[in-house]
Amino acid sequence: MDIQNQSRKKAQMNKEEVTDTNSTLYGRMSDFEEQWSLETYEKNSDIRVVKMNKTDMEFDFIGVDASVANSFRRILLSEVPSMALEKVGVYNNTSIIPDEVLAHRLGLIPLKADARQFSYRIPDRDAIETDTLFFELNVKCSWNPKRPKDSSDPDEMYINHKVYSKDIKWTPIGAQVDLHGPNDVGPLEPDILIAKLRPGHEISLKLEAVKGIGKDHAKFCPVATAFYRLLPEITLKRPIVDEQAERLQKCFSPGVISLDDKDGKKVARVQDARYDSCSRNVMRYDDLADAVQLSRIKDHFIFSIESSCGTEPDELFIEAIKVLRDKCRKFLAEMKKSDLMETK
Amino acid sequence: MNAPPTFESFVLFDGEKKIIIDLDTKVPNAALFTVNKEDHTLGNMIRNQLLKDPHVLFCGYKQPHPLEHKIILRVQTTADYSPQDALKNAITDLISELSLLEERFRSAIQDRQEGID
Repeated sequence: MDIQNQSRKKAQMNKEEVTDTNSTLYGRMSDFEEQWSLETYEKNSDIRVVKMNKTDMEFDFIGVDASVANSFRRILLSEVPSMALEKVGVYNNTSIIPDEVLAHRLGLIPLKADARQFSYRIPDRDAIETDTLFFELNVKCSWNPKRPKDSSDPDEMYINHKVYSKDIKWTPIGAQVDLHGPNDVGPLEPDILIAKLRPGHEISLKLEAVKGIGKDHAKFCPVATAFYRLLPEITLKRPIVDEQAERLQKCFSPGVISLDDKDGKKVARVQDARYDSCSRNVMRYDDLADAVQLSRIKDHFIFSIESSCGTEPDELFIEAIKVLRDKCRKFLAEMKKSDLMETK
Repeated sequence: MNAPPTFESFVLFDGEKKIIIDLDTKVPNAALFTVNKEDHTLGNMIRNQLLKDPHVLFCGYKQPHPLEHKIILRVQTTADYSPQDALKNAITDLISELSLLEERFRSAIQDRQEGID
């Protein structure tokens, strides 16, 4: 690969600096002749799913701009809607946790509910079945009558002394019973500790969950994490054998460098650079530093999403695409509107 | 205690316009676009898309202050082209790029699920 194309495609990780980090792929500022068009984008871009299950996914996002990948990350964190507890009506709270702290703790509990089936609640309007979910939390702690006489273990001494998220009970209104199954709505995890009680303490609450976005409050954020990193690339410039090879292997994350046996000698080989932490530890050894070239592919993003709202991560990403496209469409419509104003 | 309400970052005030266009009086074919209630999510993406256009001479954006929920985008184009057109083309390109991306993503997911079953 010629030097120009190399600096266009890869960022180099040197001993004390990272070079070629800019992403001027096209346009006037680039000395590259090819111009951007949808066809070239279609030709050069690709998406490959690497890992996927109910909560986590990892996929390769190839041939796109860093600004686009970053927009998706930002939108997943702050603009894809999800449901969270917003209002807490306290009928009785004789625990040692103040009402407002308790309400805050409840708000942060991840709820499992498909936000796409709900609309945003209109301020100063009564709650209806399509915008609010109602829950109840009623727990009363008492002495355990069957407790051993000299026991000092709270689990044996008291009944209901720990309030968990599983104690939050959904109370459907209107047609909600038919629309959502009993397992579609409720706290995502059953074992989140909300409060600890002692005999005589009681918590009795009515809760309302609404739809919102992460920009408004972090509790509405549908993901636990959403991040991307660039694909690392490691090139060995000369054969590295025996003691040096073993030292080289230790400089990288496990599984990145493997040792082959060749004529009784151990020869280092790059097995899989993908999951390298890019620590650049190898640069500490003068005899190894000049033998490796560390770089990252600038348009190959490894995108990870971890869902925390019951919706699967691939669906969250599709929602993020929709949010971003709606933003663009709204922008375009406003531009056209202001054009009309000018011509009048 | 005196924190501004959080929805101010994404809800337009009454009568507030989404986009204000100010033409540069000193430089030909240059304009300042003030976009209310938008941030780096859209700003950076549009700026990068505009920079890919060979008829765009200059393009940059800023969020003047973290508590002012707006971005200012400056675009300067060549003589036969207007900043408004450049911006419209850039957004149209972005929309088609996103549609293509959605299609790609859906088929990648489908391939994956069929592979497992």
